Parts: sequence; structure tokens; C-alpha cells
Amino acid sequence: MSDSPALSVRNLCVYVREDRTERTVVDGVSFDLAPGEVLALVGESGCGKSKTAEAIMGLVPEAVGRVTADAIELGDLDLAALGERGLQKIRGCEISMVFQEPLTALDPVFSNGYQLATQYRRHRGQSRRQSRNSARDMLRRVGFDDPDRIMRSYPHQLSGGMRQRLIIAMAMACKPRVLVADEPTTALDVTTQAQVLSQMIQMGRDTGTAILLITHDLGIVAQYCDRALVMRQGLMVEDASVKTLFVSPDHAYTATLISAAREMSL
Amino acid sequence: MGGRTDILGKLKSDRAGLAGFLIVTFFFLIALGVWLGWLGQGWSDASGGRWESPGSAHWFGTNILGQDIFQRAVYSVRTAFEIGLVVAVFSTLLGAVLGALAGWYSGSWVDATVMWMKGVLDSIPFYLFVAALAFALHGQPWAMHLAMIATFWTTTGRLVRAEVMKIKSMDYVRSARSIGLHDSLILARHVLPNTSHILLVQATIAFVAAIKTEVILSFLGLGVQDGVSWGLMLAESTQEVLAGHFANFIAASGLLFLLLIGFNLLADALQDALDPRQAAL
Amino acid sequence: MSDGTQQMLLRVSNLTIEYREAESPSGKLEAVRDVSLDIPRGGILALVGESGSGKTSLAHAILQLLPIASGQVLFQGRDLVGLNKAGMRAARRSIQAVFQDPLASLSPRRSIRQTLLEPLDHFAIGTKRGRSDIAAEAIEAVGLEKHLLDRYPHELSGGQRQRVGLARALVCGPDLVVADEPVSSLDVSMQARIVELILELRERLGVAFLFVSHDLSVVRRLADRVAVMYAGQIVESGPASQIFKSPAHPYTRALLRSVPVADPEHEAPIVLEGEPSQPLTPPTGCVFHKRCADALPDCPLHQPVERAISGTEQDHTEHRVRCHLWNS
Repeated sequence: MSDSPALSVRNLCVYVREDRTERTVVDGVSFDLAPGEVLALVGESGCGKSKTAEAIMGLVPEAVGRVTADAIELGDLDLAALGERGLQKIRGCEISMVFQEPLTALDPVFSNGYQLATQYRRHRGQSRRQSRNSARDMLRRVGFDDPDRIMRSYPHQLSGGMRQRLIIAMAMACKPRVLVADEPTTALDVTTQAQVLSQMIQMGRDTGTAILLITHDLGIVAQYCDRALVMRQGLMVEDASVKTLFVSPDHAYTATLISAAREMSL
Repeated sequence: MGGRTDILGKLKSDRAGLAGFLIVTFFFLIALGVWLGWLGQGWSDASGGRWESPGSAHWFGTNILGQDIFQRAVYSVRTAFEIGLVVAVFSTLLGAVLGALAGWYSGSWVDATVMWMKGVLDSIPFYLFVAALAFALHGQPWAMHLAMIATFWTTTGRLVRAEVMKIKSMDYVRSARSIGLHDSLILARHVLPNTSHILLVQATIAFVAAIKTEVILSFLGLGVQDGVSWGLMLAESTQEVLAGHFANFIAASGLLFLLLIGFNLLADALQDALDPRQAAL
Repeated sequence: MSDGTQQMLLRVSNLTIEYREAESPSGKLEAVRDVSLDIPRGGILALVGESGSGKTSLAHAILQLLPIASGQVLFQGRDLVGLNKAGMRAARRSIQAVFQDPLASLSPRRSIRQTLLEPLDHFAIGTKRGRSDIAAEAIEAVGLEKHLLDRYPHELSGGQRQRVGLARALVCGPDLVVADEPVSSLDVSMQARIVELILELRERLGVAFLFVSHDLSVVRRLADRVAVMYAGQIVESGPASQIFKSPAHPYTRALLRSVPVADPEHEAPIVLEGEPSQPLTPPTGCVFHKRCADALPDCPLHQPVERAISGTEQDHTEHRVRCHLWNS
């Protein structure tokens, strides 16, 4: 593994169109994501963390907002310079995203096996049989005991946690360099959350994928992540390893977030 | 009804919708004038010469019987509104009630009955149905209205049924049930008002459909029996056009076109303004 | 025994709730099986469980929104099943509900005032003119300003709407409020404020709460007693402090330990493998044995019986578990 970062972002700004003016929702965010690292992007609702992720993936439509940056680099790929077609080629392949609501990411008319196998066929050029085998393997790796049953069934027949694990399987099929996960477990039960997060991070370690995990839950940050970026109202307020962050935070805002989280915890 | 002020506000900022609203209001005022006896009263007077050109006595000229085309066109506005309003109001009401009952009691015999009725009505060829009704009612003027009401309610019914099935599981309905309110009260107070966005749009669609249908029926001789309508005028004009007289045709089709455009613009704008999802932003 | 019944505001005994399910071999699905719980006057009982645990069905059944297959629900000593019309009406007035989704729990085209007046009108409380005052009092009791009465739900924030839901529940002066996930869709800071409000209302008005939630951190700050549900059964119940400090049932322990803590040095959350039991084919024996780290040979064969392991029924401090590990 090289030393250069898997993802490098410099001075990313996102302006959202509102009536006739623009509102700055992301104000000059810069960070590096090292290969294999689990980086948390944490903050309260409205701080701009989701928009940051969407901007990196090129998922902010023209009608919604404007994105500017000095650099958005996925290793040696300049994401800012790629047009929509170029981005489509690498999405799902070099850089994948997992969202909060799994149901809308899965197509209800295709079987789970079909959707997962398609990833292998499209991005890894595998044959139909090869892709089905790869899909079966992958399902076992994300913790499904009966992969054949899962492959035959349809998204609506799975529980929320199972759908999310399927989506992670689809996202990781190509061993992407970076996985962006936007509040992937917020809608899940707490035991399912533990399953999904631990599996996601284990998979990341196996494939060498760096994970950008967006969350508002400081417990998740403390127990699953290596480093954390704290965002507040579009600005990056702190960037530190998790150990340092919780022991001696630089910024007063971080300290208030941590003490509020500790108060509410068990 | 909630948030009425924002609806007007939204309409005002939608230019096309505003135009539609103004056009419809203009026509409505004309219809009102005819009802009150101020306008279009001379629609049947055969006082002019045959096929006179437009002039100061007869603004659009006269038809083959010497009747004033302008007067007839104006009177037809009243006919159009009458048909439109009667059919729109009653078909929407019928659709709302039957749809709500079907949706609320979905899966039961009530639902099955309503759906069966809908299936039967939808599968009858419309003009056959009207002809049959007109015959059965011995040419009564209401035959046409009844036929339209009986067939137009089905679309509204289907949409309301689907919406009610969604609303049924909303927590505010659960709250009402948990304090013991009677089903009919819940339907009237909480369920139907929350389908009003559907009802208003369906009503405007029914209005337009009724007018268009009347034109065709009158053209076929199954529609308006006494009085005049654009349909009748268009029917008359088929022969006149062959003789090179276009005034009848232009007057009837022009006004019809204008009213329908106005209504369509208004319906689009209303649909956007009333969408409760947008209201929540 | 009669003393106990008199004291208890709500006593649920051996309650079973079934749904019709064509796909199941018996044609029925048990959402709730043989559940018993008590709530004293002014007590706060939290019903904790994850999706599929049956906690929402249980709450709805107590609100008379779902039919009961077997068992009893005694409210103020009288069985809610089989009450006559007048009795039903009185019970409905004394047991009120607050639901989860603040947006969907208020009728969109009715003003806040209309929403608050509805139960007052329905139960004919006070005089017609006086009801507006009662509504105003209720709105202020939950910390909102009177002028909000003329607004519509979409004009209020999520936290405000949820308070309105509480105000509506309180406006009839109930003895018990059943709250189904009332804070789940709110911001953390707003959650804390609603929790404070509920505690304050209990102090001032003596209202009891049945608080259904999957969020343990909220429950911890709020509840006197906690009942943990899994696959339709109550697997453990007891004073909140006991449940959190010394959980007895393996599921409760797993549940508590899977919540991530804001401290990197803390023990890593444990992962509970497997899926919650499929409702169509409930396992024989204990509902939890397939995922239980401490399963005994007896667990797949026999259903465990509920036992008290500490505390006394008299002062309502019993700690009860349904587990073979505690049966010897």
C-alpha cells in the first residue's frame, strides 16, 4: 500500500440555491483519507456532512447547488475534472456510496442475486456464472448464512439490516478504493447496527478500502473509527485521531458534543 | 381548510396559473350574466338575414337561420358552465364518497362492491351508455348529465380509494380511533379533507371533460335539446363551412378552446399549489 | 392479591395478540405471546425492544386499537375487554396516546386548536366556552406559546409537533399515557427536552406513562421500570436501575453491550449474530436460543417460565426473568 492518500480533498465548497440567492453549506473543507483508514465525518444535522460526501461523488445536481474545490483526488484520479460520464464509470467501482435508506437504493423488480451479480459483470467483466459465484461468496462474507436463499429473494423480502448488508456487498464487490457511508445504520436497530458496522469495517480491512463514515453518533465514532473530522455549519472544526479527540479535543464545540453524548449514554 | 393563504400566494406567483384563473373567472362572469338575464338573451331570435357578415348589428354575423352568432356563442358559455359544474360537483362527490368507503373498508364486501361497479361502468362504451340512457329517459335534458356523472366518478373513486388506504395508517387517524371517534366522523373530519388536493384537481378535470363530451354529444344529436351550446353550433357549422361561411365555426371553437386552455392552466397550478408534500417544506 | 390489583393502574395478564397471516401454517401469527405487566399510578414503565419484538402491537392493544386473542387488560380494576359503551368511553378518556411520527400524528388540515379541542368536544369535558381555555392551558403546560394554537402542523418544527401531541394526550386529564416511540424522530437535544417535560408532567399531574422505545439511553433517564421484549415475549422486567446495572437475560445483556459508547477506551460493542426469529416459524423452546451465547441443552426444547430473581411484588421492585439460566 502506497503512502499517498486514497482520497484527497482541498477547499471543497458547496453552495445551495435558495430562492434567488445561494447559501454556503460547505465552506472550504480539506482533508486526506489514508488507504484502509476509517474516517468519521461527524456533526449535528445541518452541518454539511452529507453535502460534502455528495459533492465528492459528484451527486449534487446543477439545479440544487454549485460545487467548487481546489482538488478532489481519488488517488491519481482527478474527480473534479471528470464529467458525469467519467464519474459514472468510477462510481460503484473505484468509489462507492451507501446511504441511510436501503430500500430506495435497491430495485424492487430484480432479485438480490441479480443486482449483486450485475456489479461483477459490469465492473469486473465477469461472465454470468462467474458473477453469480462471486456474488454468493460475497454474501457469505457479509455474514449471510444462506446466500442462495438471499440471492433468490427480492429486496422487499429482506429486513432493514439485511438490505443494508446487501448494499454494502454491492458497494464492495469491486474492492473500491473508498467507501462513503452516509448514516448507514441510523434507521436500524441497535443490535443490527453493531452487526452491520462491524461487518462493513471488517470488509474494508479485507479489501483495503478506506471508509468515510458520516454520522451524528459519537459512540460510533469512538468505537469504530480511526480518525474523525468534526463539522459545524459547513466548517471543519477539528481533525484528529479518535484517541486524541476524546481525550483532549482542541475545539470547544467538540468538547460540548462529547459531553452531551456521554450524558445520554448508558 | 388549512393554509388557504399559502395556496393563494402560490397561485399568484405562478404566471400561467394566474392567467388560467383570470380566463376562467372571465368566462364565469359571462355565464353569470347569461343566468341573470343580462347577456346572450337573443340567442334564438331569427331576426337577421341569412349568413350576414359580421357587422354592427350582429358582431359575429348570423347563421343559416338568421340567428345572431355572437348571442348564441355567449349563451353557450352558460350551457358549458352548467354542464361542467353539475357533472364536476356530483361526479367528484360520488367518487369521493364511494372511493373513501372502498378505501376505508378495503378488502371487505364494501370495497368489492364499489370496485365491481367501477369495473362494470368502465367497460361500457360511453356513447352507447349515453344513447341508452337518453332513450330510456325519453330525451330528457338530464340524461346527458346523469350519464356523465355515472361514468366520470370512477377515476376519482380509484384515486381517493388509494389515498384513503394510505391515510388509514397515519398516526392522526390512529389518534382519532383511539379516543373512540366513530368511523363516519373520522372519514368526514380527518380522511376526506386530506384528499382535497385530489378532489379539486379531479373536479377541474371533470369540468373540462364534461364540456368536451357535451360538444361531441350535441354534435351527434344526443346532447343539449333546448338552448344552444358550442357543440350544437359546431354541428350547424359543418354545412355552413362547406358554403364558405366560417363565423359559426370560429366563434364556437375559439371560445371553447380559450375556456379549456384557461381551465387546464388553472388545474395544473392548483395541483402544484395543493400538493401537501410541498406544503410541508 | 386484591390489594395489589387495587394499587395497579394498569395490569396486563397473559396477553396474547394474533394477526391473520395466510402464509403461516396455522393461519395465524402471534405478535405478542403471554405477556404480563403492571403500571402503578404515576409510574413510568418503558417497554424496550427492537423491530419485530411486538412492543408496538402491545401498545396498540392497550389502546384498544387491536383485538386481543386471550388474556386480560385490567385498567383501574376493570377488564377493558367486554366493557359496555359507557365504560369503554370512560376508559378511552383515561388512557391517551402519543405516537411516533410528529408529522403524521397531527391532521394536516386542522389547526392546532382544532386538534386539541377534538377530544374535549368528544368527551364533552367542561363547557363549550371553557374548552378553549383548557386547550390554552395544555399548550402552555408543554412549554409552547398560546399563539401556536392558530397554526397548522406544517408550520411547526418536529419538536413542537411532538409537544402538541403530548398536549393533546393531556388535555383530557388522563391517568395513563401510552407513548409509542415519541422521541425517536427528534434531534438529540430535543429528545432531552421532551424527556424532561414528561418527568415534569408526571411530577405535577401524577400521570402514568407506558413508554415504548428502542432507544436505551432515553429509557434510562426516564423510566422507573423497564420491560424488555423479544419476539413477542417479555424476557426481562424490573426496576430501571437494576436492568441497566445487572441485566439478567442474555438478550438484555447483548442489547446493552451493543450500544456504542463515546469513549474509545471502552470495551468494543458486542455483535449479536443471526436474525431476529422469523415470526412465521417461531423456534421451539426459548425464542432466543438460536442467538444466545449462553444457551443450555434445555433451551431449544422447553420454553422458560418467568421467575422473580429479586425484589418484592409489594413495593413493586421485582426483577423478573424468563430464562433457563435462572431456572435452577
